[in-house]
Amino acid sequence: MSVKMGSSSTSVIQAQKLVDQLRVEATMERFKISLTATDLVRYCQEHKRSDPLITGIAASSNPFKDKKSCVLL
Amino acid sequence: MGEMEQLRKEADNLKDQITAARKAMQDTTLQEAAASINVVGRVQLKTRKTLRGHLAKIYAMHWSTDSKLCVSASQDGKLIVWDSITTNKVNAIPLKSSWVMTCAYAPSGNLVACGGLDNMCSIYNLKGKDGNVKVMRELAAHTGYLSCCRFLSDSEIITSSGDCTCVLWDIETGTQKTIFAGHQGDCMSLAVSPDFKFFISGACDFTAKLWDIREGTCRQTFGGHENLSRINYILDLCKLYDLRADQELITYQDSSIMCGVTSLAPSLSGRLLLAGYDDFNVNIWDTLKAERVGVLAGHDNRVSCIGVSSDGMACCTGSWDSFLKIWN
Repeated sequence: MSVKMGSSSTSVIQAQKLVDQLRVEATMERFKISLTATDLVRYCQEHKRSDPLITGIAASSNPFKDKKSCVLL
Repeated sequence: MGEMEQLRKEADNLKDQITAARKAMQDTTLQEAAASINVVGRVQLKTRKTLRGHLAKIYAMHWSTDSKLCVSASQDGKLIVWDSITTNKVNAIPLKSSWVMTCAYAPSGNLVACGGLDNMCSIYNLKGKDGNVKVMRELAAHTGYLSCCRFLSDSEIITSSGDCTCVLWDIETGTQKTIFAGHQGDCMSLAVSPDFKFFISGACDFTAKLWDIREGTCRQTFGGHENLSRINYILDLCKLYDLRADQELITYQDSSIMCGVTSLAPSLSGRLLLAGYDDFNVNIWDTLKAERVGVLAGHDNRVSCIGVSSDGMACCTGSWDSFLKIWN
């Protein structure tokens, strides 16, 4: 088998693989954005209150904040 | 030649089918769905800790699931495990190859991994009997650099490589369980789904692929099916893709930002998207409204990596300035 023939049959195999993959991707079940975007918004809203970077963290419960050395008596 | 022409035609037809199927899902936009909610208030995070110790650029960092320890990799040839609260170095692991590009912490906290231009993924046991951290396994088979790695468990890890493939490894035997082939360019990063069933890979072929880990198959491809009929200027952007609608929902861009994004991390609720940039800053985006709501400025060089801890309490940034910073 000449090199030229070898490389063209490899291209055919690769092209066939691409077509097979595209066929798999083409047949997936897709959902409307009205559904998916609403779910996304709802998820973020529901979890917003327990997201420390949004709600902020009280100094007393922030393990990364250095505790002050003075204490109010 | 007839066969190639036929296959090319079939591929084009399928690409058009996919484009049409995606268009059919566009009954609204994320902007419209989020129209009734307000932009998140300004997010102002402060540097709480600076982790000093690396002597060269930091290329990667990964939080442990305990939200306290984290591992970083630098081209000074070291992996450092930090206690982010005390800033103590729990382990300083010298690497055989200093050209490290990625690191990962196993969910159990027992192992860390790293790799880079040595084309290998080295696994280190942090909990060895005599207290010394040693190489447990060297996973070698990739024919290109190791760009990213993520543990599924103490016995399995997924790697992405410049050889255009991703691999699922059996750490015990050091063998490849599954090879995920399909990308036409260097694989640069990967992220595993919270249920460990899927992972997404990003590559230099301008696409991101969703893979089914157990089946070994690619389920979806983002960003690459459009038939380009003219040359597009490619900007460095941040985009949000919806897996179920199988398409892009929104782009995070601002006319004042002229540089590339290096790294991304969502906050715990997903409402904030923290992105590291080449201009030494981190921009914080409201994920739903695509508006910038904060900036983290403090590094003296490119922010190369970013991560939010599992409990959402802190964000860690790693930079070419050799420092890691903890923010909240």
